[in-house]
Amino acid sequence: MSNEIWQTWHSKATSPRVAGALALLLMLLIAPTLRGQSPAQADAQSNAQTDAIEPESISPVPVFTMGTGFITQFEGGTPNLDPLISPIFLIPLGQNWLIESRDTFESDLAPVPGEPGYKGVLDKEVDYLQVDYIANPYLTVTVGRYLTPFGIFNERLYPIWIRDLQSDPLILPIATGPSGAGTGAMLRGGFDAAPGIEINYATYFSTLSTINRIDSDRAAGMRAGIYLPGPRLEVGGSFQHLLQDDRSNAFGFHFAWQPTPLPLDIRAEYARSHNGSGYWIETAYRLSQAPVWTSALRHVQVVGRMQQFYTGTVVDPDLPTVNTNMFEFGLNYYFRDDFRFVSSYGRQFAFQGNQNVWTLGLTYRLAMPLGDGDMQ
Amino acid sequence: MTLRGGLLAGILIAATALLAISGGVTAQDGGSAAHSVNVANAALTAPAAKAASAAANSNAAVKSPVAAAAKPQDDESLTIEGEKRFHANCGRCHQAPQKFPPRMMATIVRHMRVRATITDDDMRLILRYMTQ
Ligand code: HEC
Repeated sequence: MSNEIWQTWHSKATSPRVAGALALLLMLLIAPTLRGQSPAQADAQSNAQTDAIEPESISPVPVFTMGTGFITQFEGGTPNLDPLISPIFLIPLGQNWLIESRDTFESDLAPVPGEPGYKGVLDKEVDYLQVDYIANPYLTVTVGRYLTPFGIFNERLYPIWIRDLQSDPLILPIATGPSGAGTGAMLRGGFDAAPGIEINYATYFSTLSTINRIDSDRAAGMRAGIYLPGPRLEVGGSFQHLLQDDRSNAFGFHFAWQPTPLPLDIRAEYARSHNGSGYWIETAYRLSQAPVWTSALRHVQVVGRMQQFYTGTVVDPDLPTVNTNMFEFGLNYYFRDDFRFVSSYGRQFAFQGNQNVWTLGLTYRLAMPLGDGDMQ
Repeated sequence: MTLRGGLLAGILIAATALLAISGGVTAQDGGSAAHSVNVANAALTAPAAKAASAAANSNAAVKSPVAAAAKPQDDESLTIEGEKRFHANCGRCHQAPQKFPPRMMATIVRHMRVRATITDDDMRLILRYMTQ
């Protein structure tokens, strides 16, 4: 941790807000022991349960995984080549700890007029580098650089091998900024509120970091969602308060539904801040129930997405500068769950002119154990 | 109330709700059984889950005298419940993955538990199902 960050942390550590946050952390940490049992008893019982459901013989190994892709994008006729590699390291420690990191190396190669070949620079970014401590069934404490849990796209759908359409939603930079990450601490978890009703939450505090490749804003925020595993429906909301500059707020809502009888994903997000507001709604349908050519068509996924963005009172260079509508249509072919061919056509309607965007590419996710060869 | 105050209040309310839901500060079950009863309640979404928590308790009996004897079919119902939870959870954000070797699966499930805020019960049942 650099001096600068440490000093910011240090100087704020006495404010009432931070004291409140610490009190909350303490409360969550001791929650399980408040049920009238000593920590030793609680431990013995949860171990007994662990024995029952999670065979103790399975000790996790470090894992290396990587999302990678090669996308060709035709924007207004010129092709751009966009290779991307995003390695992830997962290092489990003991029963309750996990160190995880993801970096992204990408390039946008474009033809330079009058010169042969394609030129571009390699962008490097530390997406996250965090330590997770699973304190109890309701709470995980994360410290480090983490993906900002605002809305669902940034944290859950962003990786190249996951997203169904290759372009970012227009509203993505709202509250997540250019880096999509915060530097600080996060409390998160999920638990059953009642049979068939799960609640998930993430609250975070981020310090200002101006260090190249790990930049972040000073902000605090939270996201909460309700997931119903029966109908496979999630709704939730996000809120963020900037603790610097104009101390503005951002909020958003998300929705995700996979109706059980159909291979259908419906997702939507709305976000608003002084930089602008907008929404996207996406439907993806896997043709696994096609009445004809089933064996070929079941690998095919059809995607449609509709977006609108309205400018706000303060200009953000990462957001469109004029009101924009966008419609995209995609066709993906899954060779396997981790390897696919992707393609899309999009049309953007904006005041300065309309534009067509085509993409074509391959995405792949690799996962392998590190070190330990004996996998049993 | 300032926005900052509002945020803090919101967090505190959420924390209180959390405590309340997690069984609160009263020990209704008098100590030793409280934890497993709580988890059992949480897991009771289907008959299979009932069997699941019964089995959890019965294995616990090996170490503590609290619970009843194990039944062989409980093992299978745990697997069925695990499969159900795998399908309800692991295809929500990306295509549901294939099985990996057990020790790798344990790491991945831990990763997903944190990232996807999957519940403790779900995680255990899914790991069990994915490593059999
Ligand atoms: C809330 C969304 C979400 C859910 C639910 C979810 N995943 Fe993931 N999963 C992700 C994201 C996002 C990544 C990519 C991680 C990254 O890039 O940092 C991922 C990555 C993975 C990977 C690649 C290896 C790794 O750990 O990064 C595997 C395998 C995987 N998930 C399996 C699962 C399984 C098994 C489940 C069910 C227990 C599950 N996922 C549920 C979002 C989710």
